[in-house]
Amino acid sequence: MKRVLVIAAAEWRYWLRSRLAQGGALLITALLVATTVLTTLRMQSETAERTQHQAKAETAFLTQPDRHPHRMVHYGHYVFRTPAPLALFDPGLDPVTGQSIFLEGHRQNTAMFAASGASADLGGLSWLSPAMVYQLFAPLLVILLGHGLVAREREAATLATLLAQGTPGRVVLAGKALALLSFVVVLLLPLALGAGFAVLNGEQLLAAGALMIAYLLYLVIWGALALLASAFIRNRAAVLATLATLWIALTLVLPAVAVSSAANAAPMAGKLEDDLAMLTELRKLGDGHNANDPAFAQLRADLLAKHGVQRVEDLPVNLRGVVAQASEQKLTDTLNSYAGARMAAETRQAAALSVYGWLTPLLAVAEASRAVSGTDLTHHHRFLREAEDLRYAFVQGLNQIHAEKLAYADDIRRSSDPAAERRTRVDAANWQLLERFRFQPDAAGSRLQQARPQWLMLGVWSTLLMMAGFWLGGRLKP
Amino acid sequence: MSGLSSSANLWSAIRREAAFLARDRSVLAWWLVVLCLSVLAVSAGLSEVQQQNATIARLLEADAADRSAVLKTQSDWGGTAYSSFHLTYDAPSNFAFAALGRRDDTPWKHRVRMLALEGQIHERDAGHPVLALVGRFDFAFLAAFILPLVLIVLLHDIRARERVAGRYDLLVATAGRADRLWQMRAALRTGGVFICAAIPLLVAGVMANAAAATLLAATGLLLVYLLAWTILCARLAASQRSGELILAALMTIWIFVSVIIPAAGRIAIDRAVPVPSGADIILTQREAVNDAWDLPKEVTMAAFVERYPQWEAHTKVERPFAWKWYFAFQQVGDQKAQALSDAYYAGRQKRDRLAGRLAVIAPPVLLERSLQMLAGTDLRASLAYEARVRAFHASLREFYYPKLFLDEPFERAALDSMPQFGSQPPK
Repeated sequence: MKRVLVIAAAEWRYWLRSRLAQGGALLITALLVATTVLTTLRMQSETAERTQHQAKAETAFLTQPDRHPHRMVHYGHYVFRTPAPLALFDPGLDPVTGQSIFLEGHRQNTAMFAASGASADLGGLSWLSPAMVYQLFAPLLVILLGHGLVAREREAATLATLLAQGTPGRVVLAGKALALLSFVVVLLLPLALGAGFAVLNGEQLLAAGALMIAYLLYLVIWGALALLASAFIRNRAAVLATLATLWIALTLVLPAVAVSSAANAAPMAGKLEDDLAMLTELRKLGDGHNANDPAFAQLRADLLAKHGVQRVEDLPVNLRGVVAQASEQKLTDTLNSYAGARMAAETRQAAALSVYGWLTPLLAVAEASRAVSGTDLTHHHRFLREAEDLRYAFVQGLNQIHAEKLAYADDIRRSSDPAAERRTRVDAANWQLLERFRFQPDAAGSRLQQARPQWLMLGVWSTLLMMAGFWLGGRLKP
Repeated sequence: MSGLSSSANLWSAIRREAAFLARDRSVLAWWLVVLCLSVLAVSAGLSEVQQQNATIARLLEADAADRSAVLKTQSDWGGTAYSSFHLTYDAPSNFAFAALGRRDDTPWKHRVRMLALEGQIHERDAGHPVLALVGRFDFAFLAAFILPLVLIVLLHDIRARERVAGRYDLLVATAGRADRLWQMRAALRTGGVFICAAIPLLVAGVMANAAAATLLAATGLLLVYLLAWTILCARLAASQRSGELILAALMTIWIFVSVIIPAAGRIAIDRAVPVPSGADIILTQREAVNDAWDLPKEVTMAAFVERYPQWEAHTKVERPFAWKWYFAFQQVGDQKAQALSDAYYAGRQKRDRLAGRLAVIAPPVLLERSLQMLAGTDLRASLAYEARVRAFHASLREFYYPKLFLDEPFERAALDSMPQFGSQPPK
């Protein structure tokens, strides 16, 4: 054990003398610190802005004057998704998905205004976040420091001396591995700071810890690759060229190829196409604005029979409101079944992509990072679903008021009789039925669960590589 | 050596280099990799474009069927305008396969109707967010970001490896002119990379019917771009330092021009050119439209007439509800939000213009943007599509306003002259 420590310490001394190692470490660290600060500031201002918009939208709804409840169904409401605390480290899908939805009766609208649509377009790599620096560039630094671990000793012929003095190959590799591992731990400090800040902002400690473990595993994988290449490729220049090639393949080429392949393997129709298919189905449900629509004849007959009256005007409830409730319910069932199918298709496509995590650890760690940070597809879908729940609740609440507090006779004449129109306005106090919206990420435990396949991928990758190192360590040749 | 003519000298030197190269398996392997990647990139692009075209064809059919089903049940102009939606779309160009650009994260299809446009035009039926985030493997990405890395790996140790192998002095001594030897070596390697990348592009371009001028421009850009990287690599490779150091230096340059300058530039540009928040546009429009229900009708009509003075004589509304008033306040809703909406449009345009200027110091971004411009998949194309949707929506209004304000009788035959999206030539 002592020899392992001596070897590791010698490596650290070498790195501290090496201008190349220092330059690389300085560059990546500066990048990490800069992106952490900038992303934190950006996400904080986004949070403040969206919270403010949410409050403004709620106030606007609640301060509407007395009016017909169906007007409020169409007046509608807005919800805004505030980012999760860990979004300051990994904004994930935040810039490419809409962050606000307009909620109104009879429709499910899309999430609008993704930041990527309005931002200056400077290529895909310009959306730099701390997560992306760890995913793309930290491996380069690990390669820069790790490629010479054994190859340098071999080139200087000190490896032969070391082995001849009776140090087993495994001990040499263990010492080198320890040096690189300790460096990786140091490299995770900016992440620890970011995660700590998120914890202060209400994030659970479990999620912050899991995020660090995900990146630790990821960088351990790269460290192991660098160590193995350094130990078993004869020529030091070839070691670096091989590792650089591996980096290009695993972090730049394969993920993009995987995207193209997933798009092809699991194609999905867009919302517009789904909407058109749905409209055909919906036409059969009838128009909820028109209580005389034949689709509601049964409802009307049942209602008359239930209350034992002959005329709609004699009902204790307003038929129009009842029809509005019934049609909104049927409509929402259809809307939800289509929305559910679309989300399932998106999830399938995402799964087709994430399988490639077995080929490149970048996809595995990126997916785990988004899941743990609460910025993944699952959270986007939950935002859409929660927005829909809120929409349905206030629309049906208003429809209930429409059914119970308005006289049918006034309701049918309000377009032509100003006095009847005035009587169909209900008190503004009714608008209090609106629920307050505040998007919260899932509990840390379920976010970790969400990333189960990715934990497995990272675990298998790192275990296999470490086993390879242990096995090959016995055959280390000068 | 002076006895030989310089061109014969050159040819023999090229033959010698080619013979060296034919034995260098790693260079051949890299060329093969580039060829495979290029085939992969263009075929993925072609299949995506094909999918998008198929989607448009299906949508056109479903849209027409839906509209005709809706129109059957209509009996007045107001109801017709209210219930008939119209498909608008931006079809991919013949060169889009090479650079899919913004088509992944900005919507290129909408269905609009005669209500306030601001409430509709920002709907996003965009692609899969995870795929948009990770980014596709299209030719533009390959050419702009991956090929320079390939050149870096191929060229960084062009001299250092010979020095390590102990052949450096022999090579220099037996070559006609030492500097030309290295130039030729680098040029041959780059030439192979260029050919392996360009051939699939050209083949796919012919298959997709892309214009010859576009293909020529794209290959020309690629050639200049690769040459620039080659010169840079060769310059650094000429130093006496070790191969590792040269590789690290080149990678650092790549990181700066591909990532750090673009990322810093994005932040700086977005800070320097603020755009109104989308939420404000939508909220303004919605408040205006909803307030109109409670305002005296003359107020709405007065605001409407400012834009359409020709209907001034027909703005009297006597009933609590009339379609012309309803559509007038939709129009007024757009008018109220117009300042914000224009600022949003102009801001995005300005950000894009600045990004284009900044790209001059970030060559990978410059190439990617240039290919996207050739492909019609850049932000400008996306904004142009938005402008076409606005123009189409305006033509819908032109179609319906006379019918609503002059109270023309409902006529099914007149529906045939309803404006069609795409019938106007794209600008």
